[in-house]
Amino acid sequence: MASNNPTPFLPTTRREFLSLTGRGIGLLAFSRFAPSFLVKAASAAVPSPEKDRTILVLVQLAGGNDGLNTVVPFSDGNYRRLRPTIGIPDDHVLRISDTLGLHPSCTAMQGLFHDGKLGIVQNVGYPNPNHSHFRSTEIWETASASGDFLSTGWIGRYMDNACAGRPGADSHDPLAVHINTLNGEPETFIGQREHPTFGLLAGGGGRRESEETRKLLETIASETGAPNSEEGFLQHTLMDALVTEGKVQNILGAYRPAAAYPANPFAASLKNIAALIAGGMPTRVYFVSLNGFDTHVNQADTHANRLKTLSEGLAAFQHDLEAHKLDGQVMTMTFSEFGRRPSENESKGTDHGTAAPLFVMGSRVKGGLHGTPPALNLPKNQDVTYSTDFRSVYATMLENWLESPSEPVLNGKFATLPLVV
Amino acid sequence: MTLSLSPQDAWQPLPAGEWNADAARHLLRRAGWTAQPAEVQRATQEGLAATLARLFPPQPPLLPEPAMIQRNEVERMDLGPRYMQASPEEKRVLGRQERERSQAAYLDMSVRWLQFAAQPDNSAFQKWVLFLSDVYVVGFEKVHRAPLIYRHFDLLARNALGSAPALGKAVSHSPAMVLYLDLAENKREAPNENFARELFELFLLGEGNYTEKDIKEAARAFTGYRLRPGGEFVFAPRQHDMGVKTVFGQTGYFTGDDVIDLAYGLPAAGIWLPRKMTRFYLSDTPLPGAYLAALGGPWRASGYDLGWLTRSFFGSRLFFAPEFRGNFIKSPVQFYLALLQDLDLDGVPLPRYVVNPMRQMGQVLFDPPNVRGWVGGRNWINSGSLAARRTLVESVFRPINPESLTADELVEIRAAGAAGRDHFTVTDATLEPIAGLDPAAAVQSLTSDFLPIPPGPAFQDSLQGFIAAGHPNPQENLRRVRRALITILESPDYQLC
Repeated sequence: MASNNPTPFLPTTRREFLSLTGRGIGLLAFSRFAPSFLVKAASAAVPSPEKDRTILVLVQLAGGNDGLNTVVPFSDGNYRRLRPTIGIPDDHVLRISDTLGLHPSCTAMQGLFHDGKLGIVQNVGYPNPNHSHFRSTEIWETASASGDFLSTGWIGRYMDNACAGRPGADSHDPLAVHINTLNGEPETFIGQREHPTFGLLAGGGGRRESEETRKLLETIASETGAPNSEEGFLQHTLMDALVTEGKVQNILGAYRPAAAYPANPFAASLKNIAALIAGGMPTRVYFVSLNGFDTHVNQADTHANRLKTLSEGLAAFQHDLEAHKLDGQVMTMTFSEFGRRPSENESKGTDHGTAAPLFVMGSRVKGGLHGTPPALNLPKNQDVTYSTDFRSVYATMLENWLESPSEPVLNGKFATLPLVV
Repeated sequence: MTLSLSPQDAWQPLPAGEWNADAARHLLRRAGWTAQPAEVQRATQEGLAATLARLFPPQPPLLPEPAMIQRNEVERMDLGPRYMQASPEEKRVLGRQERERSQAAYLDMSVRWLQFAAQPDNSAFQKWVLFLSDVYVVGFEKVHRAPLIYRHFDLLARNALGSAPALGKAVSHSPAMVLYLDLAENKREAPNENFARELFELFLLGEGNYTEKDIKEAARAFTGYRLRPGGEFVFAPRQHDMGVKTVFGQTGYFTGDDVIDLAYGLPAAGIWLPRKMTRFYLSDTPLPGAYLAALGGPWRASGYDLGWLTRSFFGSRLFFAPEFRGNFIKSPVQFYLALLQDLDLDGVPLPRYVVNPMRQMGQVLFDPPNVRGWVGGRNWINSGSLAARRTLVESVFRPINPESLTADELVEIRAAGAAGRDHFTVTDATLEPIAGLDPAAAVQSLTSDFLPIPPGPAFQDSLQGFIAAGHPNPQENLRRVRRALITILESPDYQLC
């Protein structure tokens, strides 16, 4: 069973977060489950904006993305054998090499691939794979070995490491904010799991009364509850929220995207991230989650729909960043807790599997294919064996993008990949 | 967290001498939604055992099947033949209509459950059902069919205080579960492991208590589970894998029910539900294994009697220990229902007034984020969800503007009025007795009525100063008392129970 912390790769105490954000290494999350850094520390101490800092955007494909139908080995006879009904036909795949093609929903990503802005790391996984959503997610988030249980996450440890020995600043500024866009339409209720919404506070009696409440709440939020108590935690969160509310609202409200984002919550999250980057937030790592990839049954439509959302959202985000000349600063990387079983099941779906490809996107990405594809000469119901350890991808992001040593973060040495130009 | 009791003493019944109004408040806030003064008085007088017998009665009231659910079932049955003969274009239209009706029935059910659970006599038992639904999870987003979600909750409620293995078997036959975890796709010649895996990992045992082999074998035992077009569960023997299976080292021609019994043969099954209970009712911090084992062993010996478990848990010394008082974060459901009960309000019978705030606070009824259920505790709170809680508080101090309502909504509001259930907004009449007090007494009254722990001196002082600034103007005084109450309800301490 996984820990209660939905995203254990994030810092776990407010002090930890403050000292981290003090160095301009904040995090921002857009997902239904705010990673604990938000929960624990929405307050952020902010140094002067450092606009040249590199930024990493993590995109979680929750549920276990079917890698074989995402990057399709269309010419491999084994693929046809393993996927007799849900395999993507040759003439539908979007070719990216003589043997591989993207899922037909991924036209926007194919464009990025051809422009050299999309890299695909093939067959990423880890030894002794676990088939539990929660445990495998935890392994990815903590960057642990399959049999180890770590209580900290890899980004959290990166921040620890980057900030060791430096004094933390202390001011309230909008760094770590869970932004909820109020969506007043009840009809949109169906299936909208992730609501990247910013909860604007509608004051009951107008501005004056809101101000009165805010002032009174500030007195209670500045009182010190017992350390580590729920009360103290709530006070900190409230104080941070009070200060943050106005500022983030201003940034998002004033933002003019330079690309057309699709109308879905995932794209809205990415647009908000672009707004905050453009607004000069010193946040270094953003987190957004897209779910619905747990495709056990009749997966064709669901999977196509998810990939379309992913592909179009990522492309809009990239184009927006380019138009704002922020693209040189931002790298986006997807991950999923596992791929799916190569052989389809009898329900025209796929069960939990192991390794899968992941995407890296950005103007400084070395585009194209990285690593080696999985060997598919497998008997029915056998999983693929990974060829690139996910910690190698992390090591690359740490060493070559965030400019941090990876060994102390990953508790071991993992080879880097040539992903960054 | 330091625990004040040993594992041996933890589950002893609370001594009668320790049952008092404070203990009653704690029980009512944790087992139910909040501690209304009248309920505290009643429980204090009755005693703990009688109170528990009342909160978890042998024949608990059940949520009546909402009319829209009934109608949706009938409509779906009627749809079948028409659908078969329809053209592709007509099929799309029919399909969309059916989804919309199911969606409307689902929203209506959400509103009705909240109204039902808001009644003090139903609170503790409905919270228990909500807990069970957070273990035996199904989600509307995948199941889609509102009547099946209703039946799943009904099934949980009917089995909520009986034997846990019987509940587990009923859950495995729940049509919503069959759809939610793909049981109908689990075929003899091609087992689908989804249900078997979650059964062991999340429903009965927890990770580490089974092998991948156990899952594969168990999946075979759950073959042959099917739904009729109307949504009834049916066992199809010809689809069932009749072969020999080996699960937990035992070999036989096991059925799904047999596998559930085998799982309950393991000590881990005695620990799993108590572990979930502590997380749902007591604390984010897991209890050490020795404490769980000290409850799990006797529970197992009781024949896994869920009624026994509620009495033992909520009547224990550990449940009332000081380290568990006033320091657990309310879920959005509890926040909403406690707000209604504390302010003596009726819930607005309109989905968009109820379901939207719930969503913004992070909890969509009948639709947990995934099969693991809601994580809860501190995970409920971030700056966005806190803002949503504050918005909800502000909203119950604002009258509903009839011009903002649709015709259908007006009908609902008028019907609530005719039934005498339209006290949706905090009125001046509620506030006037407090406004009549001097500022110190007003603050004392407000904070002791609504907060589970006394607020810090700085907050008390600033509230008092704020109210005092309104004297002697009666209107301004009343306005300031209202604003002070709003602030208290938006404060960190009001998030706790």
